Order: sequence, then C-alpha cells, then structure tokens
Amino acid sequence: MAKPKIASDWMCGCAGCHMSLLDMDERILKVAELADLRATPITDLKEPDASGVDVGVLEGGINNTANEEVAHKMRARAKILVALGDCAVFGGVPAMRNFCGVEAALKRAYVEAESNEPGCEIPNDPELATMTQTRAIHEVVPVDYNVPGCPPDADVIFYVLAELAQGRKPELKDDLLHWH
Amino acid sequence: MKFHRSMVLVSMDADSLRKDAGAVYERFQQELSAFGLNDEIALSQIVEVGRHDILPMVIVYPEACAYGPVSSDDARRIVEEHLYKGRVVEDLLAPVKELSGRIGWLKSRKGAAPMEKRIVTRRAGRIDPENIEEYISEEGYQALAKALGTPAPQVMEELEKSGLQGRGGAGFPTGRKWRFVAGTKSPKKYVVCNADESEPGTFKDRVIIEGDPHSIIEAMAIAGYCVGADEGYIYVRGEYQLAQRRLERAIEQARAFGLLGKNIMDSGFNFNIHVHSGAGAYVCGEETALLESIEGKRGEPRARPPYPTTHGLWGKPTLVNNVETLANVPPIILNGAGWYRTFGTSSSTGTKAYTLLGNINFRGLIEVPMGITLREVIGIYGQGMKGGATFKLAQTGGSSGSIIPASLQDTPMDFESFRKAGVSLGSGALLVCDESTCVVDLAVALMKFFKFESCGKCTPCRVGTERALRILTGISQGKGKQADLDTLIALAAEMEFASNCGLGQTAAVPIRDTLKHFRAEVEAHILLGVCPSGVCEMSAELQTA
Amino acid sequence: MVQLTINGKQIEVPEGTTVLRAAAQAGITIPTLCDHKELTPYGGCRLCIVEVQGFRVPIASCTLPATQGMVVSTETEALKKSRKFVLSMLFSERNHFCPFCQVSGGDCELQNAAYHEEMTHWPMQPGWNNYPVDSTHPYFVLDNNRCILCRRCVRACGELAGNFTLSVAERGAASIIIADTNVPLGESTCIKCGTCVQVCPTGALIDRTSAYQGNEAQITPVKSVCVGCSVGCSVNLLVRDNRLVRIEGDWTGPVNHGLLCEHGRYDPMTESRQRITSPLVRKNGQLEPVSWDEALGAVADKLKPLAGDAHTGVAAIASTRLPVETLSMFKELFAGEFKAHIVTSTEEGMTTAAVFAVAERMGAFEGKLDVLRTADLTLCLGADIVNSHMVAGFLIKRALPKGMRLVSINPQAGVLEDLADLALVNQPGSDLSLVEGLKAIIVKEGLGRTPLALPNAARLIEEAVRATGIPLEKLTQAARMLAGAISPVILFGKGITAQRSEHLIESLHSLAILVGAVERERAGLISMKGEANSTAAALLGLDAPFVLNGQQAVFAAIGDDYVSGRLVKRLVKAPYLVVQAAYQSKLTEQADVVLPVSTWAEQEGHYINLDGRVQKAEKVLTGPEAVRDSTAVLGEIAMRMNMPVRADWQQAIRERKPSMALN
Repeated sequence: MAKPKIASDWMCGCAGCHMSLLDMDERILKVAELADLRATPITDLKEPDASGVDVGVLEGGINNTANEEVAHKMRARAKILVALGDCAVFGGVPAMRNFCGVEAALKRAYVEAESNEPGCEIPNDPELATMTQTRAIHEVVPVDYNVPGCPPDADVIFYVLAELAQGRKPELKDDLLHWH
Repeated sequence: MKFHRSMVLVSMDADSLRKDAGAVYERFQQELSAFGLNDEIALSQIVEVGRHDILPMVIVYPEACAYGPVSSDDARRIVEEHLYKGRVVEDLLAPVKELSGRIGWLKSRKGAAPMEKRIVTRRAGRIDPENIEEYISEEGYQALAKALGTPAPQVMEELEKSGLQGRGGAGFPTGRKWRFVAGTKSPKKYVVCNADESEPGTFKDRVIIEGDPHSIIEAMAIAGYCVGADEGYIYVRGEYQLAQRRLERAIEQARAFGLLGKNIMDSGFNFNIHVHSGAGAYVCGEETALLESIEGKRGEPRARPPYPTTHGLWGKPTLVNNVETLANVPPIILNGAGWYRTFGTSSSTGTKAYTLLGNINFRGLIEVPMGITLREVIGIYGQGMKGGATFKLAQTGGSSGSIIPASLQDTPMDFESFRKAGVSLGSGALLVCDESTCVVDLAVALMKFFKFESCGKCTPCRVGTERALRILTGISQGKGKQADLDTLIALAAEMEFASNCGLGQTAAVPIRDTLKHFRAEVEAHILLGVCPSGVCEMSAELQTA
Repeated sequence: MVQLTINGKQIEVPEGTTVLRAAAQAGITIPTLCDHKELTPYGGCRLCIVEVQGFRVPIASCTLPATQGMVVSTETEALKKSRKFVLSMLFSERNHFCPFCQVSGGDCELQNAAYHEEMTHWPMQPGWNNYPVDSTHPYFVLDNNRCILCRRCVRACGELAGNFTLSVAERGAASIIIADTNVPLGESTCIKCGTCVQVCPTGALIDRTSAYQGNEAQITPVKSVCVGCSVGCSVNLLVRDNRLVRIEGDWTGPVNHGLLCEHGRYDPMTESRQRITSPLVRKNGQLEPVSWDEALGAVADKLKPLAGDAHTGVAAIASTRLPVETLSMFKELFAGEFKAHIVTSTEEGMTTAAVFAVAERMGAFEGKLDVLRTADLTLCLGADIVNSHMVAGFLIKRALPKGMRLVSINPQAGVLEDLADLALVNQPGSDLSLVEGLKAIIVKEGLGRTPLALPNAARLIEEAVRATGIPLEKLTQAARMLAGAISPVILFGKGITAQRSEHLIESLHSLAILVGAVERERAGLISMKGEANSTAAALLGLDAPFVLNGQQAVFAAIGDDYVSGRLVKRLVKAPYLVVQAAYQSKLTEQADVVLPVSTWAEQEGHYINLDGRVQKAEKVLTGPEAVRDSTAVLGEIAMRMNMPVRADWQQAIRERKPSMALN
C-alpha cells in the first residue's frame, strides 16, 4: 500500500506553526517514514498534487482573496483537512484587526504609522489580492481537525500527523490541548 | 351614592388631552352648572375608547351616543341639545362604524358578536373608574364580603374548581398557586399583581385597570385573605400613567371606605396595597425580575426554584398574579365555580381577553370564551382581513408568542388545544398578518426587540438574541447562507434549552416557528436572493453573485 | 440532612446545600463560571445546568437547593452539547482570543472550561464588537472585551467588600461592567481592595503589578499572613525568581475569608523605599559601609558597659510589626540581665496597655471578629475602622445592607458618617462620661439585659450631656439603639485605648454586659489594636511609654516598618543610636550604627492578630546578601555581650494573661 500523502501550506500566519513542526527534530524522519511529504513550504513545492493528497495541513487564517483560493484548493484536493495553530483555528492575532475593520487597519499601517513618509497611500495595485475580514479556516471551508496552539507544540503536531498517517483519528485532550 | 339620569364620559387619555380634551371637560362642567344639571347628570372621565381620529370623544349614557371629535363649543351644544332638551346632536355623532372601538361593549350592544362574553371587561367604559360608589353599585366588593365570611380553604377550593388558569401566558392553575402560598409557614407574605403588561401589542390589562381598578383591588384583598398576606404590590408598567393614577385613587377610596387597611369589614383581616411603577424594561414582566425591581434592584430574573410562592418578595412567600387573572376572581367567588365553567371549554374555562392587531378591519380589545378558533376571531371580531387580503399567519401572545400558519386557523384557542398543536396562547395579543408580510422581516423585527430587551444575565439569551439578529439581518439583506439556517435552529434550541427565564426560552420561538412553517420563503431569500413579499431590501451586488 | 442521587450516586448533604456543592462533595465536577464559593449563587453563565427528574427544563445547579429524593443527571448528551454551545457563545461574544491574554495558560477559568469539554475550537463566528477598556485605576485594568458578564466582580464588590462600586450598565449584549455611574474606575468610589480582580474568572480584570509575570499554574502560592495591620489577614504569596509577583487573599483565611485591602494587596508590590544592603557605622560624621563583624563589635562595645545601668543606660524600642520571635528576643536581651531603663515598642502600649492591665485582673474578655457575622448592631468608639482596619471594615460594611445598624461616636467629626445610622461627635476626653451616660440611660429606661444598680443615674446622664456636648435626645437615641439590638458588638480603637484608662475599659465592659454584647457564649467587645503584632508586644509587656531621660544610648529595632516623624524626633536626641532596619529612613540617616535586616517576606515569623490568632508568616524571598534575620542579629549582639538569652517566644508570651483567648 502506498504511503499516505501529506501536503501543507500557510496563509495569514507567522510561519511559527511550521517552525514548531520542525521542532519535532528527528521525529520528522518518522513522519517521512509513515507518510509521503508532498508540497509544503519546507519542501518548496508550490501546491498540493492535483491528483489529491490524503492529509492537507493549513497554517494561518484567511484574510484576503488569495488565501481563500489556497484554502479552497487544499480543501478540494485533500481528503482530510487539518487547521494548524490558533490563526487557522480561531483567526488568531491577525483577526484583531476585525475589531477596527480592514480600512482602518490598512490606513493605520500604510498612511498613519509614524515611520511612513508623508503622502503614503494604501497599496492599490489591481494585481494585489483583496483584503477581507480575517477568518478562521472553518468559516470558509469545512475543517476535519482543528489543532489549536500558538504555536501547537511539536509533540502535538507529531501526534496528529503520526495518527493521521496511520489512519487513526487524533484526539486532542489533556496535555495535548492548548489554545495559546 | 347619587343616581343620575344621564352620564357623560369624556375621553381623557394622552391623545385626547393633546387635542384639548381638558378644555372640553371644563366646558362640560361650566355648561352643566349653567343649565342647572349638576344633580341630574354625572360627568366623568374615561380612557380613549375609539379611533384616534375622533378624539376627544364624548359618550352619553344611557343612549350610548358617541360624539367625536368634540370641541369645547360642541360641548355647549351637547349639553343644551342632548342633555337639556333631550335631542341627540346628529351632526356631532361619530360615524357608527367608528364606534366599534377599543371597548367592544359598544359593538356588542348591536348584537354583532354572539360569542362575546364579558367578565373581566364588563364594567370598563360603563362606570366611572374614579368613583368607588359606582363600582359598589355594580356588585363591587360583594365578593370580598362573601370571601371574608367563608373559610379561606373553601374560597380557594371554589377557585380551583372554577378551573381558572393564569392569564399572563403560562396558564398555571390559579387556585393551586394560591394554595401553594397559603401552605407556606411565614408570618409575612405578599400578594403581587403583575400589571407590567410589557408584551408589545397587549393592552388588555391597561383597559381593565383604567376602566375598572377596584376589581383588582378587591381580588388582591381576597387573595391576601386566602394566602395569609397583609400587604400587596401592584407593579404597573411605567408608561401606564393614567392606570397608576386610577389605582392610587382607587386604593385611597377603598381605604376611606374601610375596604383596605385594618380590620376590613370587621373580619379582623388587614390588607394594604402599594402601587409600584415599572421603568420600561420588558423583562420586568417576568415575575421574578419584577420582584427584584420592586426590591429596588436591577430587573433580572432570578433562578428558579425556589419559586416566588416560597421565596418571593424580600425572600417571603409571594403570590404573583396577572391583572386579568385577578379580575376573574371576584365574579367566580360571587357566582360560583359552576357558573364560571359555563364559559369556555372543559379544560380551559372562562373567557380570554385578546387585543387584535395587524391587517384586519377591527383592531382592539375583545373578550371571548376560551376555545373559539382563530378563524372566528378574524372573521367575526376582526371583521375580516383588511382589503380582503389572504391570511398568512398570526402571532399569539406578543413578541415571544408562536407563529400560527393558516393551517392551524381552526385550532380552538384554549390552553390545552394550543399546547397540543405545539403553539402557545400567550398573554393575549393577536397579531394577524396577510400575504404582504415577509416572515424574514417579521423575524428581524422581533429579534431586534429581544436583543434590546434581553437583560444580559444568562449567556444563551444574551448571545443568542444578538447572534440570531445578526444572521436574520444578513438573510434579509440577501447575504444569507444555507448554513445560517442550521445555526439559527441550533441557537433557538440552545436558547430554549438553557436560558434562565421565559424571555430567553421563548425569544427564539418565532424563529423556530418561522423555519417550521415558512422555510421555503426564508430559503428564497438565501438561495434566490429575492424576498417573495417584496419587503426586504436585498443587496443588489450579492443578488447577481 | 437530605438524600439525593446525582449520576446514580447516592449523596447526603445538609438541607440548603446546592446541587453544585452536593456534587462537588461527591467528587462530581460540574463546570461553572459565574459561581464562586464566597458569593451568592447567581445562575447566569448556564454552564452548570443539570437535568432533574420532574422538571421540564434543565436547571442551573448552582442555585438549585438539593431536596429529598431529587434525581439529578449532569452528563447527558444534551447537557454536554449545551455546555459546549454555551462556551462557544461566550468565546465568540467578545475578544476571547487566548494567545495575547494575560491569564491564558492556567489562570483563565473560561479556557480551562473549554479544555474540560475537550473543545479544539469554537464553531461560531466571533462578534467583533468593541467594548470599553478602563485603565485609569492605579492597580488594575478593566477590559470589558474580556468580560463574560458573570458578575462575580459586581457581587464581590457589594457582598464581600460592601463597597458597591461596580455594577452593570445597559442590557443584553450591550451590558458592560462600570464603576459608580459610569465614571472612570480611577476616579470612582473604588477603595482599591482588588477583590474583584481576585474573583474574575477571565482576563477582564487584570492586575497591573503582576501583568505577564507568570500565572498560578507556573507559581505555587505560599500561604502566609499580611502584616499591614492588626487584623492579620491570610494571604497567598505568589513568588517567582525571588520576586513577589502577586498577593492574593486566602479564601480559607479564618479572619479575612479571602479579602484583602489596598495595603495588604498592593503596598508590598509598590514598595519604593531604598533598601539598606550593608551594615553602616558612623565614622567622622559619615555613615560608612562596614562588615557585620565590625558593626556588631561596635554595638557590643558601646552597649556592654551600659548593662545593668537601669537609669542612664540604654533605652530600647522595637516595632510592633516585627515577628514575635524578634520581639521576644529583643525583650530577653534588654529587659533581662541587661536591665535597660526602657524596653518598649513603637506603639508604647497606646492600643493595648489599659486593655491588658484590665485583663490582668479580669482575665480574657475580648471576643473574636467573627461576632460581626451575626451582629445586628455595631457601636464604634474612638475608631475609624473602615479606614484604619479596612478588612474589618468590610465585615461591617457588607453587613449594613443586610440590616446591621452602625453607631459611631468619635471626637473627630465625619468618622463613619456616610455609613452609620447614627454618627455622633463627643468632646475629646469625654469617653468615660459618655459610656457611663449610655449605661445610665439604659438603666433608667429599664432597657438593660442584665441587672445593674446605678443609684446616681440621673447625675451620670447630666454629666454625660455636659462633658460630651451631645444633646440628651441623641445620647438617648444611641442608648436605645444599643439596648434594642439582639446581638450588638462594641468595637473600640486607639481613641479609647490611648487614654490608658483602666476605668474606661472596665466601664465599656460593663456596658457590653448590660446590653448583651458580652454574654456567656458571646464576646462582642473588641479593641482594634494597632500594628500586626500589637498583641504580641502587649503579651511581652512591651507597652511602657518611651520617654528619654538622659540615657546614653538607644537601640531601635524597626525591621521593615515605617518610622513616624514624631518618633524620629524623639530618638535622634539620644547620644548614641543603633537602628536595626530594612529600609533607609530619616531615622537610619541619623543613626550611629545601622544593622540591615530582613523584611517580613524574607524571614519566617509569627504574628498575633487583634483577636488573638497566632499566625505564621513564611519566608518566601531571599534578601540581599548582607542582610540578616532580625532575630539572629539580636542573638548575636547578646552573644557578643556575653548575655545568654532563651529563644522560646511561646513560653515568653505566656507570662502575661491575654485579654482574649489565644488560638
């Protein structure tokens, strides 16, 4: 039987969850043994196989139209979708801008910030993705497993990947369950 | 008391006063003296009893002529022509159709409503509510006298046999509630009359109090005697200024007549009543929030049990009854349970007062026996749908009431039948809607109300109303998703399951009923981006998307 | 007792126990957020709802009294689902994003509840509403965005502190916690006791001093005792890396039941005095750092020749904030073989001398503060308890809405005026006449609970009116209120005790018996004392007035206490001054030798509070390197002077009859 394929990608996050993934050290070899690591920001393949993967992992929330595309594509191509980290599960730090609104946040960053030159404008290149409210992944596409944590511990990530790779359902509770 | 050959009633409610009813009343006083009619003709004030466009309104008995709108010059003509010379002033009469006003008494005289039976509103509009002598002359305080001469358990037994159920909405057997309070051992107990009447569209209690305040005082005294309380509170909705004044006046008079105070009618029974004004919060109509409010605290419902019957006002056993419930008590005591059971059905006895609202031809108060159908109410009392429109739905019992689709029109309106049909009778408001009503728009309006009125104490109601409104508003703007309906159903279920009080438990009933009976219409908003009734403004941008 | 069944388990609990508590007794956990064991059940969060046989809807177990034969289920599928739903509602209602919240990771009861339900996320979209943040308060921040509206803070403010500053404004989803009539917290009537912060289950009320310095999950709290005043509140000290992170009231504390005042909770956190880190000896007019050996040598050399000189030798004074171990050693050293002329405390017996002198003859007569729990009237004489002994004040203030009446008579105008049912001002020094007058009125009117012969009542009343300047009708009103109470309590403070009149104390005692404040089973007469160890100092007899009269040297053991300007003025007159202190002060600047010692948190020690509880303060911090334990320093001086001392404080405090039962 072929090894299950795992792909991952990141959206509106800080890459910290993928750093935490690397924190599992030599155990990543075990994961590689159990599963076929396909497109990930680590392997530098750009997108999950068109033929589909078994497990898709997404880090980060969704805060623009480009992220929406990434999420939809991963959902379409992965049998099991895992939301990794607080941004993916809840919206996380980037979601704080929802309290003031996209416009105000962009204005503060590109126009009003002390370090900006006078006359700065909010970037409006039509090539740019359109900013939206920041959302957790489950608000855009159905998610099978939410793995909270900021970032989730390497132990938690290893546990989840190892269980999924072996066709079991990971259960997060007790020491494995942390939201921060 | 004096007997008068005629009686003149001048409407003196807020609307009338704004239209100079005060001057009209004064002019009547002057003219009656000028014509030397003071001893023969009684002049008194009533609440507005007709349509707003014929105010100030004047009714002359025994002819039951209704004049309106009346200016102070018209007052002179009425005195001279009608009262002095005995000729009805035809050109000042309000059109006959308009007489079928808020007080259906005028209408029923014409024999148009065979089923209508008046118990709680039998005196409203017929007697001067500010004159205790008139109340007494109409069987007033006879029930109290009879009760005081009977052992309390026997009085309560009669009440229980009558089958009277609470008219505030829940329909709890009144006699049983009285016995609960009577059974508690406490040197101090209270009787509280819930006159907050905060359900939008309900004004039956207001008409009873404004028209017949002594009936409540008498009933509370009987209740006090039965349960062993010596103090009562009437919690009146803050907006009901006139009702408060009338009650205070009536209490004063009852005290002067020895019908309240110490050793009432030489029976050794003491009873006093205070009037407490609400301040506009819907939730204070919930009995435990009402008690908190009387105690001077923030109006938040308490946790139950313990119930007010054992831990009520200031922790003492307390009997809380609705105005209409209490108004039923004196006639039951006086005429017996058997008489009362001749009205209504065997499981829901007596009459029920409804306030008719919405797209029907007659809007106002009716009192009819329990068990008549919605179709009868709309057809006979409501005089049919306005402009011959098609009936779409009715909401019973104010904002938190059930949505009743056309298919349930023939369900008898009594506690048991409604319970069986999975709807509730509620407090008595009957909102009738025709096809021009959009159910999503209706749900948004109701949820706005609940979000605003939720006290915020418990999570399911506080968050649930806010969330539901957000989702419903989205749907009405064409931004809804199919998944929103599942969320709404889940919210409604949780609110009903886990809320602390009736407000939270019933706030989602309209949502639940709407999705049960009119799901297709709601889905049209979501899936097709159209409002079938053309009421909701759908966002154009999303319609095309 | 009633029997009920919870999840099939038979449980017997006393009548009136709530189902939530009954379950806890049986080891069944029912999650809750708004419930707190010191607060009246509220039933708001709806997390603790249970299904009860015979009830149509589930019921909040925190407010539900257990009744005979009740059958309760707490773990049905519907309930589990509902709990998750309620938590989802709470999380999505406001800003409950964990990663940047101070209490995340252990201190947050909301987060813990979610873990308990094994929630990996909340399925609802957050509300994104903005609510006000109030950061005007010196000690804490009120962030309504983190609030779950459980009202614990509101209830604690009213029910526990009796202050009623916090309340809820608006309704429904718009509800927010406000101070007074929605004024900034820093400008409100808040008395800064911090109880609200201690009960807040989330990060809505957070402490400034401990912000982001670690939470309870990472720091084991150590039980200790507050030394701010004589009330003796039990505290939990949270220490991390040899630094005090936070002080919390200990809910199991026998006196304070979890409460603390501003001083107890925040004074040690905002300590700004300069620490003394080396022994100092004055050389050529300048204080210079020296070794301990040199400093102790200098002290021993100076003091030893003065030993036995009971007149012009040494005057020794010790702070009543020092642990009883130090005070006892201090007494042993100077009052023993050394025979110093004066051996006393910084309070000079102002709050205790007369009371203990009376106890010497009568035995213990004072009661425990617990009597306030059942009091229906409290009379405060010569004491502004609400401000001087704040936590005792809370016990009074919170009883007022429940019907306890308060009478205050004080020479100072305005004392307790806002709170008291009757506040009278008497002429200074007229207290004896006042008390005698009150007794005379009660006797004359036949209102006494016990017989008392007062043949000259009329004259006493006349005298009281004349001396106190209080009109007869007011005095009569006070007397009638006092006599009319079923279980009155009389509290008196420094205004009374500083007069050093045994007669006055005896008179008060007989008033207390007359009105039933003191009965066989009940002792409702308590003096408020002064600092943390007033009672210990009194038991050791350290209560003489301190009057310098040609003494050649003064030894002042100050510890970490504050030194009043008045005391400094008197002490610096001494030709030679040795100060044993933790912090720099005007006194240490004038000293000839300064011996740096530990603070309260740096050494273990016992304290005896105003109602006789012997309580232990733990060593939780390590002081600067050159700082020594205050008891050990005294021991070494004794050793250097070759004067052996016993170190048995427990024996030492038994040498005098206490004015109250010790426990």
